[in-house]
Amino acid sequence: MNDLGFENPWLLSALLLSLPPLWRSGVKPTRHACLSLLPPDALSGWLDWLLRILPAAAIALATLGAAGMHLKQQKIARLAHGAHMVILLDRSKSMDNSFAGQTPSDGEQSKASAARSLLNKLVDQRRRDLIGFAAYSTSALPILPLTENKQALHAAIDATASPALAYTNISKGLALALAYFDQKPTAGSRIVLLVSDGAAVIDPDSEAALRQLFKRTQVRLYWLFLRTENNPGIFSTPEDNRDDNPQAMPERYLHMFFTSLGIPYQAYEAEDANAMRQAIADFDRLEQFPLPYFETIPRQDLSGVCFTAMSISISLLLGLKWLEGRK
Amino acid sequence: MPNPTFFRDFRAWCLILSCISFLAMQIYPRISKEQPIYDLTLIVDITRSMNAEDYRLNGQPVSRLEYVKHCLRELLISLPCQSKLGLGVFTERRAAILFTPIEVCSGFPEINASIASLDWRMAWAADSRIAHGLFNTLQEMTDKNSGLIFLTDGQEAPPINPRYGPDFSSLKRQTSGFIVGVGGLQPVTIPKFNTLGQRIGVYGPDDVPQRTSFGESDLNPEKIDGYDARNAPFGRAAPVGEEHLSALREDYLKQLATESGLGYSRLTNAGDLARAIGASKPARTTKQFEDIRKYYAACIIVLLLAQLI
Repeated sequence: MNDLGFENPWLLSALLLSLPPLWRSGVKPTRHACLSLLPPDALSGWLDWLLRILPAAAIALATLGAAGMHLKQQKIARLAHGAHMVILLDRSKSMDNSFAGQTPSDGEQSKASAARSLLNKLVDQRRRDLIGFAAYSTSALPILPLTENKQALHAAIDATASPALAYTNISKGLALALAYFDQKPTAGSRIVLLVSDGAAVIDPDSEAALRQLFKRTQVRLYWLFLRTENNPGIFSTPEDNRDDNPQAMPERYLHMFFTSLGIPYQAYEAEDANAMRQAIADFDRLEQFPLPYFETIPRQDLSGVCFTAMSISISLLLGLKWLEGRK
Repeated sequence: MPNPTFFRDFRAWCLILSCISFLAMQIYPRISKEQPIYDLTLIVDITRSMNAEDYRLNGQPVSRLEYVKHCLRELLISLPCQSKLGLGVFTERRAAILFTPIEVCSGFPEINASIASLDWRMAWAADSRIAHGLFNTLQEMTDKNSGLIFLTDGQEAPPINPRYGPDFSSLKRQTSGFIVGVGGLQPVTIPKFNTLGQRIGVYGPDDVPQRTSFGESDLNPEKIDGYDARNAPFGRAAPVGEEHLSALREDYLKQLATESGLGYSRLTNAGDLARAIGASKPARTTKQFEDIRKYYAACIIVLLLAQLI
């Protein structure tokens, strides 16, 4: 019964109107000289009973129909391959440059637009995932909560087509992405997909805080690093020892930080759109863990059924009327 | 056996009429109504002056930004389905659109959560160049076919030199929409926060630039005390002013609205936004269907009760 809902519950008070027919049937009494002369007739008894029940039922059904009876929207637990994923996108100014590190010329793609089209595809591919979307530049921008609304996700990804914002403050971005999972019950695998074209130094305070957050939230981290030509990459080692510091090679140091976290972590270095596509495909293949999810079954309208049943009652009543004996 | 008196009995007619009502219900179960549909992009000022607390909500003083969020939530609830709402934030000299308009009914939880997470800490820079921000937003929104609602208190920080404002003439009337003035008309203090986000008092007169020092002054040089074209274009007097306090700059916003061909409306209670939007031109109208089966049902109930008499 908990699954039944009504559009206009107050109309249910009209159910009281189905009581009068029970003690008064709409049959005109016929005069008879002596009732006791009549033999007891079981059929008449049944018909009398029907004449009371049918209009009462018709009124009750009409009321239920008018009140908009429906089966409420239901959620059925199912198991599928998927994850809870937060996409964390770099919105620093350099993302608007091409992979060659220049303002994109005709026919060239900027890193941001390459990322945009790939993320749009990824969102469509990952059918069962709950996906959240956040961006960061000098500060972190929470954009969408974890959601299965693909239309909203596309809207958020498309909105990043506007020029990028400012600098790269990766620690704020990571803290925001992890906050999506903090203090929430664990369900299935949790992913943070970081898409960026550069790293920045993480100060020791934030580093300690991030370490704790990573440990607490138990996420799997994927870093899609869009490497600009001739820039140091994640895996490059310095030729000169004096360059081996986070200021000179922030990417290498961020990678070392991620590796030292002790969480499942995978880094991809992409130098063009093709490499990005491969990285995303690889990610998609790796992240196929069982995920309990709820399938929503939309509510079902029952008022049509009520009205049909009502019409049957009325038709039967009309048939009985037709049979009524008269003088 | 059919009875010739059948059609003379009003009870039979009641039943026949209720059958006819049922048939009519099956044929015309609903009526259509014209319903306005809106497509709007909300740009919310998240600069520091929006932290000034000059609104009241449930008897508690709340910041302008909190109040704007409250009003946007109310607006989200009141918009008819199929309408679309996009959201963006303004700071520095431009707006960042968080998502392009999405349908309000299917996207309700997402839009609601995004409104709730609006925060002054999202600002990527601290300036508040409203005219430039509006200009940039209008540039972004041309050919987007979405109405603009720009919510701000109108306080430029640092103060601008009126000589160097953006020229809106190329963008005038390209985008429909209006500027919404947020805040009270009495100047109030602006809370100040430290790097950990803890509140540490309010901005004082020495914390903010009190006047512009950019370019040339727009005053007559002869009127400026200690004027020197190269070394002191704004004179030698120490700048004094009330820029550390914040009030809604209504005249300024009205002027911006006129220049950019937008409307202006002031936010004083939660219904204002919905009213202003209701009075504006909708993106389109659509046929909305209303279920009228309950009226047939009422008719049938009356007929069924009548045949008991």
